[in-house]
Amino acid sequence: MSGAFSIDQVADLLYREAWLLDQQRWKEWLDLFAPDCRFWVPAWNQDHELVDDPDTGLSFIYYESRGGLEDRVWRAKSGTSVASTPLPRTCHQVTNIRCEEEASGRLRVRSAWNCHIFDLRAKEQHTFFGHYTHLLAADGEKLRIAEKKIVLQNDLITGFIDFYCV
Amino acid sequence: MDALARLRGLIIDDPQGKDFRVHRDVFRDPDVFDWEMRHIFEATWVFLGLESQVPSAHDYMTTFIGRHPVVVSRDDKGELHCFINSCRHRGALVCHRAFGNRKYHVCQYHGWAYDSSGRNVHLKDREQAGYPPSFDKEDHDLVKVRKFAGYRGFLFASLAADVPSLEEHLGEARWFLDLIADQGEEGVECVPGRIVFRYRANWKMQLENAVDPYHFTSTHASYIQVLERRQKSAAADVPTSIYTNIRNAGIRRGSFAFARGHAAMWGDTPSPQARALFPSYESLVARHGEVRARWMFHTRNLSLFPNMQIAENASLQLRVMRPLSAGATEMAIWCIGPKGEAAEARRQRIRQYEDFFNPSGLATPDDVANYEDCQSGLAAWSIAWQQGHVRGFEASVAGADRFADEIGLQPERSLIGPVELGDETAFHPAYREWLRLIEAGLREDESRAHAAARGAT
Repeated sequence: MSGAFSIDQVADLLYREAWLLDQQRWKEWLDLFAPDCRFWVPAWNQDHELVDDPDTGLSFIYYESRGGLEDRVWRAKSGTSVASTPLPRTCHQVTNIRCEEEASGRLRVRSAWNCHIFDLRAKEQHTFFGHYTHLLAADGEKLRIAEKKIVLQNDLITGFIDFYCV
Repeated sequence: MDALARLRGLIIDDPQGKDFRVHRDVFRDPDVFDWEMRHIFEATWVFLGLESQVPSAHDYMTTFIGRHPVVVSRDDKGELHCFINSCRHRGALVCHRAFGNRKYHVCQYHGWAYDSSGRNVHLKDREQAGYPPSFDKEDHDLVKVRKFAGYRGFLFASLAADVPSLEEHLGEARWFLDLIADQGEEGVECVPGRIVFRYRANWKMQLENAVDPYHFTSTHASYIQVLERRQKSAAADVPTSIYTNIRNAGIRRGSFAFARGHAAMWGDTPSPQARALFPSYESLVARHGEVRARWMFHTRNLSLFPNMQIAENASLQLRVMRPLSAGATEMAIWCIGPKGEAAEARRQRIRQYEDFFNPSGLATPDDVANYEDCQSGLAAWSIAWQQGHVRGFEASVAGADRFADEIGLQPERSLIGPVELGDETAFHPAYREWLRLIEAGLREDESRAHAAARGAT
């Protein structure tokens, strides 16, 4: 497998990330990310064409540091965001994990995901699904997320989405 | 009770008695929704999209006029057409994508073919068909909408022919479209990226919200708090916001009520230096003069009845509303900006848009959750009336105020006050037009029914 890390370790990181999101342990979730991480959920431009440049086209979410995600975590827990109060219950599933090592030594990990959402406000449920590409970098003994790109395949948004829905 | 009597019981509009009330059935009654489709969305001008979304020959986009799926298509001569997206034969859609480019639209079912102007150019196996001569006399082209026109690159259509010209329909509200179109020397364009969301509530929740300054500090409390957190933190890569410092800015909010259901809300911008247009200020003054350039820097929300809104505040957003039922609405939303905008300004515009306006942003989700909460609460059928639509009544004046005078605008009513005034009189034009159109439609239904009854006896 790739350098010092096994595919099991890579998968474990992705599963742990999903678990922390669903448990609303979002401070620990943030710790999985490097401070200068890139977090990107691009919008679709055409039926089968994603926006490929976040500076000339829209994204659902785009940050070039962890600060934007920290804002979102704060807001979701603030009690002053209508959409996040009450928070929905979610269940993320991550599968089809494939990993390749880049020349830089970082790992490019592709996977498929879905997230079941039970909206406690409307008493309705829906699912979002798509693909993840994680770029993982060694940070001492651990792997950290340097970049996460989330492709949302069903982009007809039910109500709203936030970091815990994708 | 007959339909007209029921309708008249849904809005109380009594300026002398200083009363304005909206019945809750307006938001929840499926019959009302049917009236809205037939007598508003399928009977007046509705917004379709921007001309710049179909720039080249044979480009098309699909959308809806009420319940009718329609296509806006540019033909080989560059002329735009709007026709109903339904093959004349069995009714199948001839265009399936939101946007595309096709010289011919060939129905996938039996192969009837139309060109990019909607003209029927081929009817498969016509020679062998054994059609009687009467068939050949029929028009087999895709059905054109009755009225189709553009204003400064904004495209509108009407399924009904008996509407005034588009310019007359838009009236004084055109000034606000001009102020958008004039931001770029070659007009404005949609930023790539098509975002659509649905919410489980009536479309008029959104209709009101665009010109509702009252909800901001309560609905968007978490957004304002995030901005305050950002001011204290040193995080570099978080979007700037024109709302930074909103609590201390002492800003004013005004509104203008126009004929035919349109309204605009405007205000001082707490942090104008955060606007993507800010580096262009001098050139905007040079092109459009100090007053119009200054107005470009005011926050401005324009609501064009029934289905289009432009919000220029946190960024610049175009919204197109598509009612699905009394309790469900689809919103197609776009970030728009001047054509040829500098790369850094465009990047800033996009980041600010995502931060506030997206259904994945820090503000719109809270609006949507409130709309859905309202719809849930409106299930209490025994409560007849909404309250508070008279908010701002005593501050509203007939005709122009000094701000309207400054820009040569002639609204039906004007209002100015501190942001806390939270005006709701800007909703009145929409409900007046709503009532006028449905009433006209129901009267026509009634006279048709009488004529039919007379014919039968």
